[in-house]
Amino acid sequence: MSRVTRFIIPATTLTALLALVLMLAPGFASVAAAKTASPAPASQPLLSQLSELTTIQGAAAAMTKTAVIVSMLFVWIVMAVIVTLFAGREVRYSSVEVRASALYCFALGLVALTSFVITAIVFSYLVPYIVGVPLLAALGVFAILTKVYGMISIFHAAGSVVAGSRTRAQLDRRRWFRGDLAMVIAGVVILGAIRLIPVAGTIVWSLASVFGIGTALATRFGRRDPAFLAWRPAEA
Amino acid sequence: MKTPDCERYIEDPDANAGHLATCEECRALFGVNPNVNAPKIDVHALPLASWEGAQHRSWPVVIVAAMALFAIAAGLFGASGASATDTLAANIPTISRLQSLVVLMRQAPIMIVGVLFVVVNTLLIALLRRAPKGLSRGLDV
Repeated sequence: MSRVTRFIIPATTLTALLALVLMLAPGFASVAAAKTASPAPASQPLLSQLSELTTIQGAAAAMTKTAVIVSMLFVWIVMAVIVTLFAGREVRYSSVEVRASALYCFALGLVALTSFVITAIVFSYLVPYIVGVPLLAALGVFAILTKVYGMISIFHAAGSVVAGSRTRAQLDRRRWFRGDLAMVIAGVVILGAIRLIPVAGTIVWSLASVFGIGTALATRFGRRDPAFLAWRPAEA
Repeated sequence: MKTPDCERYIEDPDANAGHLATCEECRALFGVNPNVNAPKIDVHALPLASWEGAQHRSWPVVIVAAMALFAIAAGLFGASGASATDTLAANIPTISRLQSLVVLMRQAPIMIVGVLFVVVNTLLIALLRRAPKGLSRGLDV
């Protein structure tokens, strides 16, 4: 890793974190909540949340919440299968990239996430002038596509790291559990199981989203095209 | 080279392949030497590339995982007594929720947002200029 890269990546990560903290700071959030005049839901302590599980209503609510998460995992499996069938090589390349340079993907994902939020705020100022609406819609679609593709790459990476074949003999022995589809499904199941853990699951899933957005943009959705072409004069 | 035949062989070895049988000097230079052994490569000793076996489509794994998740979700909805369609519909963002989000976003101080917009997007462009490293680190796709 070059000296410039060693400096840029931690600096970028810190800057993006600072920007995110600024945007989500209690002062700004409370001012915004006061101006919108909508009552914020009271946050409950962890112990009281746990004690709710002892009641029938609390247990039913917890089961409903888990059912919603599992339903979303089912939707993720459907999307992952479709994307992997049509762009398996691209997903595999992005998966390799996040394993080869994880810190870079994380920094890029964090900066991109911050950029999405700030750009959305800037576009929201343009909403009264009509042009803001299509710009916001385009940004939203791009952000969703980036997140979906990136998460599928992370599923592939997680599946390959945990359940991938290490040797050629091991690969030859496997009849069903091999290939991109199987690795993606394994990743969905692994990350989905972690997602069900109350606090840690949300953190891990959010981190996976940041990594996913980073690897999707780092590899240009697995196509390896240059993001910005360098201009060079033609030589006679 | 000694003769015009030798020169013609050098220019187009395929068309003049018979020249090797007649010229001892060219045969010594360009002919196949049976004493030289080709390097032996043990394919199984090479590291496993990520593309090996990647095209295999394991539908049983997909079907089993999807059906298992569907069954778990259905079972949990059934046990909790909540309506699956109503609960899932309540979790989908609506237009009014997005509108309130836009209103919330516009409360941010415009100067801070403007500075952050320039700084963060400059960083993003700077980071995007780096080429992917996956191939150069031996992780073939």
